[in-house]
Amino acid sequence: MTALSLNRTAGRVGADRRPLSTMQKRERRAAFLFLLPDSLGLLVFVVVPMFLAIGLAFFSLDGFGHLRFIGVDNYVRMAQDPQFWSSLRVTAVYVVVVVPVMFVVSLALAVLVKERFPGVGVVRSALFLPYVISLVVVGMIWQFMLTDKVGVVSRALAFVGLEGVSILGSPGLALAAVIAITIWFQMGYYMIMFLAGLQDIPGELYEVARVDGASAWQQFRGITLPLLAPTSFFVILTSTIAVVTGGLDLVYVLTQGGPASATSVLIFFVYEQAFLFGEYGYAAAIGSVLLVALLLWSALMFFLTHGGRFSHADD
Amino acid sequence: MPPRFGRRQLLAGAAALGAAGLGLGLTGCSGSGRPEPLQFWNYYAPQEQGDPEIVEQSKWFQSAIDHWNANHPEQVMPVFVPDYVNPMNPRIATAFAAENGPDIFLISPGEFLRYYNGGVLVDFKPYLTQEAFDDFYPETLATRIVGEGIYALPMEVDPLSIYYDVAAFEEAGLSEGDLPATWDQMLDVAERLTTPRRSGLVLETTPGYYQNFTFYPWVWQGGGEVVDPITQKPRIASDAVVAALELFAASIARGVAPRTLPAGGEIVTAFTQGLAAMWQRGPWSISEFQLQAPDHRYGVFPLPLPPGGRQITVAGGWAWAVNNRGRNSDAAARFVVESIGSMSAESIARGADWNYRAKSNLPARRSVSAASEQLPSYADPARAAVRELVSTSRGEPRYPPVLYKALSNTIQSVQLAGGDARVQAQVAQDAIESFLQTYEGGTLV
Amino acid sequence: MPTTDQLLEPAAPTVAAAERRHGRPAPRTRWSRRNAALLALGLVLGIGTVLPLLVMVLGSLKPKAEVTAPTLLPQQPTLENYVYVFTEVPFARYLLNSAFVAGVITVLALWFHSMAAYALARLRFPGREAVFLVIFSTLLVSLPVVMVPTFAVVRTLGLVDSYGGLIIPAIFNAFGIFLLRQFYISMPAELEEAALLDGASYWRVYWHVILPLSRPILSALAVFFFLANWNAFVWPLTITSDPDLRTVQVGIAGFQQQYAGNWNYTLAAATVAAVPMLLMFFFFQRQIVESIKSASFK
Repeated sequence: MTALSLNRTAGRVGADRRPLSTMQKRERRAAFLFLLPDSLGLLVFVVVPMFLAIGLAFFSLDGFGHLRFIGVDNYVRMAQDPQFWSSLRVTAVYVVVVVPVMFVVSLALAVLVKERFPGVGVVRSALFLPYVISLVVVGMIWQFMLTDKVGVVSRALAFVGLEGVSILGSPGLALAAVIAITIWFQMGYYMIMFLAGLQDIPGELYEVARVDGASAWQQFRGITLPLLAPTSFFVILTSTIAVVTGGLDLVYVLTQGGPASATSVLIFFVYEQAFLFGEYGYAAAIGSVLLVALLLWSALMFFLTHGGRFSHADD
Repeated sequence: MPPRFGRRQLLAGAAALGAAGLGLGLTGCSGSGRPEPLQFWNYYAPQEQGDPEIVEQSKWFQSAIDHWNANHPEQVMPVFVPDYVNPMNPRIATAFAAENGPDIFLISPGEFLRYYNGGVLVDFKPYLTQEAFDDFYPETLATRIVGEGIYALPMEVDPLSIYYDVAAFEEAGLSEGDLPATWDQMLDVAERLTTPRRSGLVLETTPGYYQNFTFYPWVWQGGGEVVDPITQKPRIASDAVVAALELFAASIARGVAPRTLPAGGEIVTAFTQGLAAMWQRGPWSISEFQLQAPDHRYGVFPLPLPPGGRQITVAGGWAWAVNNRGRNSDAAARFVVESIGSMSAESIARGADWNYRAKSNLPARRSVSAASEQLPSYADPARAAVRELVSTSRGEPRYPPVLYKALSNTIQSVQLAGGDARVQAQVAQDAIESFLQTYEGGTLV
Repeated sequence: MPTTDQLLEPAAPTVAAAERRHGRPAPRTRWSRRNAALLALGLVLGIGTVLPLLVMVLGSLKPKAEVTAPTLLPQQPTLENYVYVFTEVPFARYLLNSAFVAGVITVLALWFHSMAAYALARLRFPGREAVFLVIFSTLLVSLPVVMVPTFAVVRTLGLVDSYGGLIIPAIFNAFGIFLLRQFYISMPAELEEAALLDGASYWRVYWHVILPLSRPILSALAVFFFLANWNAFVWPLTITSDPDLRTVQVGIAGFQQQYAGNWNYTLAAATVAAVPMLLMFFFFQRQIVESIKSASFK
């Protein structure tokens, strides 16, 4: 359907060499007006900031309006700033752990709640529920539960002999907590995505496989995974973006980047530099690195999905 | 548009666009002389409920403002900014960036240079009489003076010491005679006080200006400096700093200090619930105890010393500053000086009321100290112990953000991430040296 | 008052519908050993997942002395914390601000996005693919990444510390346009063409034909947008300082810092911020699920 309508349009526009009819003019004017509010908004609040992000990076700008062109100094400073590399490393660990684990967890949950057992609706809702809560509230709940000595989790750890473990006070554990909470918070979202993908797989395929004597695991490998490829691809791409650009709220509330910068992800570092230290130019330089990375990611996505028209990739 | 538009031109264009956008966006000047009330951003008033000392402190601010408003056409309005002390709170910084900053605001020494170097602070010198200037203890003004100008007026001084829970000591079979005088004794005593529930000693763990503030005295005791006030060169890679870093690390490594603050950082809750026994704190805790748990027994002793160390502590405290791009910076400056920096009886009484009733820090002025002697709380033993510290107090240094952050990273790394003190000190040393090569701004004291 | 089971039911018909599509009658759920085992597993995972939320709600009903006690259920349940929270800070104002901001963003965003998507999907004009490409390329540039320059833009427009600053930049994102375009492309053209042949203006077609037909996807997106904007934190925190503009997320974050250590109050405040979204989830679960499904590029 998609491809069809697009081809039709392409043919029309391409073949049109005659003077425009009133109808066509009217259509063009209408299209222009319909597109105007969003295009203008996207231009001002997305496209301009995108270019500004790069432009600003070549300036020194404090929070009091003093602006000075300094060339690539911000990038030089960034390259020499241990905090930048540390934040980059934290972000890398965060992404590299969260994305695959979230993938496996949410797919497993989707496979579970695809089954039609009594009460599956309740289970599905329960698994999704954390996603509707704000990250501020999420941060507070977990801060409460992870409080040293008196928090539920700390008490549970003490019960199994791990007394005196400080989760939010130990660098490795704090990052692990941020990772676990991120997965807990978002798994329901990706579970629903996988569920949608799973429900699109024709049941007959499994029946045929069963007749052929395929085991559950063989069915999963041979049918589910390949047919789920578009969904999987999409989940990986979007969760990567979500993890790189998200996490700011959670880190802000839960750990404030600490302890010892262990949870200071790049986006948090940018925020700190800009809005707390007033280093707007430097923050823009760091942000521009993120932006370029995301644009490359976005371009990759565009090409791999044939312009977002995924299901027609092989038309 | 030229037909050939290369990537370089594009970048240059983008940069120019950026500059133009920013010129509009962040350098515009707001008009002055608008009839709106002057905004006084603070984190005390107005607040009608909360812990009793919060209510008292809010009333104090309100009455100072009411007094001014009753006598002057330029009205002042308090704006309560929650989370003010949190280093992660962007409100004031972004308000300034948007040219919409407060007229009057509370400023801590840690943040002073950011605003001074930004060129937004009003010089109080022309508003202050010589008599009033001399009335301030020189140590309290030192970190607010640049050149000849005075860019913030302190309302209080808060020297740090150790607060301890008497009941915890008794439970551990310890008495006043066991109060530690050296670092080693402090850790040993803390060990005896530590139980699965209770932390023997609390040193600040949250990264921020406040943690740096609590760190300085341990450095100074051994004769060290973060930045030498005379040569203006960093001295972080030094034995004294390394020793202080190792003290922080040892307190954690020996399991006598917590990795996160007990009771969310509330000392009264922590002591009354038996979560902490000793805590490096400032005198503001006194009024917290007085109003929240008046019968709870606690004591104060000076910071223990390293071998061969000298008695010294750090004293911070809030100061009032005026934004020179505000609605009416002249009236704002007059308001500040009349309220907390004039020789009038009201101003002096107000200072005494703040420090000896509403809050429990020490006055920043001689006349206020003298007036305080008449107040009932003057005899309070904890306050008396804190007064003992004044002669060995040094003002909290003012360092710009880059320097603050480099030091903060080093403290955090050694204290909580097992970083090597000497290596981390060198990292901060290098970062600060390279920063200071191009630094232009107020002296680092 | 319907039971939880009834409220949660909407998820089930979706599965049934999906299976019907593939020509197989949906089997009734039956008790079997396998199903019992699946239910047990599902319940363990489900309860484990919502446990932190239960801890929050139950903790908010405990007095201060009890809040960190190692019991889940309050021994002496009290509503005192809620009374305190509402009298202590202008929470009603925060809630109202959040509802207003999220509501206006949702309405305007859906309106603008559906117009743009309609043009991109159904109208013919030169450069359509190029426009779409540009919009698509902004799809993954989220606000946190360009927050610094966006702040500069918003400052230039004089929107700092205003409802405009909270609302306007949050309206525009390619995500909604993209999804609606996908929806419109797959919509049958007959109705629209008939109306156009009758001489209706494009606006009339959009308003009277397209919008009514897109009600399901619009309602799904509406719930999702409202949710996302109600939960927004960093942008409102950064762009406003006026206490009257504080949204509920910013409000509770400040509240927590101020009452650090008083977990009973903090949990009550957190619950107040969370309950509207939990209610929304229970009542509009189907819309939320649908919007996520439609987002997966199917």
